Amino acid sequence: MSSAILDVQGVGKSFPGVKALSNVSMKVFPGEVVAFVGENGAGKSTFLKILCGDYTLDEGKVALDGTEVSHASPLEARNAGFRLVRQEPEIVPHISAAENIFIGEYPRRASGRVDHAKMRQITTEMLERYGFVGVLDIDALGRTLSPAQQHIVEILRALKDGVKVVAFDEPTASLTTEEADRLFALIRQLRKEGLGIIYVSHRLHEVMEISDRVVVLKDGVQTGDLRIEETTEQDIVNLMVGRELAHGYSRDEVSTPEVVLEVENLSSRWHRDISFQIRAGEIVGFAGLVGAGRTELAKVLFGEFEKSGGTVKICGEVKTIRSPADAIAANIGFAPENRKAEGLILVRSVIENASMAVYSALARMGVLRTSAMIEKVSPFIQKLEIKTPSLEQEVGKLSGGNQQKVVLARWLAAAPRLLILDEPTRAVDVGAKAEIYRLIDDLSKQGLAIMMISSEMPELLSMSDRIIVMRDGQISEPIEKQDATEEAIVNLALGTKAA
Amino acid sequence: MPTEDKKLSITENATLQIASPKSSALKRFTNFVGAENLSLIIALIIMVALIATQTEFFFSARNLMNIGQNMAVVGLIAVGMTLVIVSAGLDISVGSIAGCASVVCALTVTQMGTVTGGVFAGMGIGIILGLINATIISILRVNPVVATLATFSAFRGVAFLIAPDGRPVGVLDPNLAWLGSGRLFQTESFPGLPVAFLLLVLVAVVAHFVMTSTVFGRSIYSMGGNPVAARLAGINLTRMRYAIYAVSGALSGLAGVLVTARTSSGQPASGTQGLELEAITAVFLGGALMAGGKGTIVGSMLAVLLLATLSNGMNLLGIPTFYQLVAKGLLLVLAVAIGQWRLARSEKQQAKLAAAGK
Repeated sequence: MSSAILDVQGVGKSFPGVKALSNVSMKVFPGEVVAFVGENGAGKSTFLKILCGDYTLDEGKVALDGTEVSHASPLEARNAGFRLVRQEPEIVPHISAAENIFIGEYPRRASGRVDHAKMRQITTEMLERYGFVGVLDIDALGRTLSPAQQHIVEILRALKDGVKVVAFDEPTASLTTEEADRLFALIRQLRKEGLGIIYVSHRLHEVMEISDRVVVLKDGVQTGDLRIEETTEQDIVNLMVGRELAHGYSRDEVSTPEVVLEVENLSSRWHRDISFQIRAGEIVGFAGLVGAGRTELAKVLFGEFEKSGGTVKICGEVKTIRSPADAIAANIGFAPENRKAEGLILVRSVIENASMAVYSALARMGVLRTSAMIEKVSPFIQKLEIKTPSLEQEVGKLSGGNQQKVVLARWLAAAPRLLILDEPTRAVDVGAKAEIYRLIDDLSKQGLAIMMISSEMPELLSMSDRIIVMRDGQISEPIEKQDATEEAIVNLALGTKAA
Repeated sequence: MPTEDKKLSITENATLQIASPKSSALKRFTNFVGAENLSLIIALIIMVALIATQTEFFFSARNLMNIGQNMAVVGLIAVGMTLVIVSAGLDISVGSIAGCASVVCALTVTQMGTVTGGVFAGMGIGIILGLINATIISILRVNPVVATLATFSAFRGVAFLIAPDGRPVGVLDPNLAWLGSGRLFQTESFPGLPVAFLLLVLVAVVAHFVMTSTVFGRSIYSMGGNPVAARLAGINLTRMRYAIYAVSGALSGLAGVLVTARTSSGQPASGTQGLELEAITAVFLGGALMAGGKGTIVGSMLAVLLLATLSNGMNLLGIPTFYQLVAKGLLLVLAVAIGQWRLARSEKQQAKLAAAGK
């Protein structure tokens, strides 16, 4: 085999009080895809930032194609041939896709003016070469690009001349299955062209599919460097968490005949004619592609978005829900997908965040004593095992898993009959995930009806009693737990017929 | 304000302490005033020491009375401004509202002969103008800074329009004058306390209670910290905004009434110009965040005291007004910069925690 195109030796990086990475060594050979996996906080981002030149390393050496770049600036690292495809690319809204691709490096004429013709020509050539013809309009303005198109712009930025190693950071997070397949085709092509590729992802089945080798990090330490054909997903998970993990989560069905939520012919800007029921003690999973209208359905039910027709009954009573306050009064709780943007008030304390939804209920004549808040909420904080130095701690200073539990504590305190969970384990690490599953299971055992929107197949399959698949604002017939398979769900989500 | 000495054991490695029972007196004091307010107190002590060594007059009863009276007008506005800024808004029109209220109060007292009526009319016009601000912000969806910058100009115009010929309205009523320059608790050995200052203390105490111990106050912190999350937790943002700007308007109106009482005339402009700058500076200096969600009445009031002492000291030391204007501008920048620095520091701590994977 030829010499390594990227050679990392004994790299370490500390932040005040924290050792983020220690003694990481790895090689990437030309034409090789190396996956990088680890829990949140394992050091993947730090590692990518070192390669990018965003961080300087404290110890060790990095060489790109034989040239040492240990202390390179971002521009030097880029010029040396290392490119990062970021998860959330910076797109300038008011300039075209082609200009976005060339931003900062516009081709110029002799006079010094930007050579738009050349820019468009190179962009067109790149689109052809990498199979994006018809997917991206090079003249479309940045603000009109879909997340997938923005991602293509970011990829083309990386692949401009002089690229030797490309790192993809969680590339499929905002992509549909179809778009992800196209990305994999591209990665295979780049592999054939002899580039070195680093693939960072939480999705182990993708790692198994696309990579040649997998490097596992745990708490900043390298715990494995394995050839993909010599390993299994379970092996990788064990290296990530350092403990055996039960495959998935299994729960007993506890639903009762009592119907808690009954939606009849609901329509809105996003939805047509949706009818379904959720019984007490039942968990109904909502599957579907990004953009199918699942989050919007949750927000329509919760009164955040308007519905244009249909009725919503809670425990048999028709409820008029025009605002989240109405929804809370109708005994509905909603933990949104984006905790930081929609769920939590990061600068306020745990106790305030957890008791927000019950302020009025706890108050007497508008007066709300802290002691009443503590009395109401602390049992749930204890039950959820939220790790916080005090109830006065700012929520922004807790970890992702604990933040999510604070949102759950808020809704437990409100004692709803229906709880809507939108991606309950997003950006939560593997250990905390299992805990959250156990909690959701407990809640259903206490008779809560749970509507769980999720994009994670194992989560849907193991947690749901029934699964409803959404596609283009409409829903499928519910799939019973025993009939639910990944294949059936994907087919319904994509609208393809099962073979 | 957790006062219970109870410990809740959460997990083996994390103990939830609501208040440690054996905290020292100093620690308890720091907890009460807050670490941020402690720096204000220290700054105040240093400033007083500096001024007092330069001029003996500083500690004279007349001067202290003067500071107390000057504080009252800005202080009332700063109380309302605290609510507004904590809710992630801003109210630039407060000085102009005070101008309107001053004229309305004077007109009511001269024409109807009732001081109580004058006070309520002043506050009433303040509430109405505050509701106009809230409508522009909530219904027309204009950014609070722009909305109240517009009404800053418009309300000042209204003040001149309602004053006959745009001139100050003289009002000679001893009861009204008592509100502006009277004293309470006066004895032979004690010079007493200014009525206006006591009024501010009363308002501040009530506001402190509202902010810390009512649904309304708690909801202000929530909506300021994250309006989307607050709405999803059932808080009606529009209704909150109306209430908040109405309170700010009412207190600005009361401040305008005090101006009328002290100067014995309804002033469309004089005495109420520049109050917005001082009130906003005080609230930021008192620990409020530009982005909302943080800030306390105690902090704002300490900052008002600091500013009143500073401008009093500069007057006593004979520093020209022009320098004072520059100093006030610098203070506002400094106050916001400190807040931003605190925010950046806490974000860095969060990043560190995230990097540690905790």
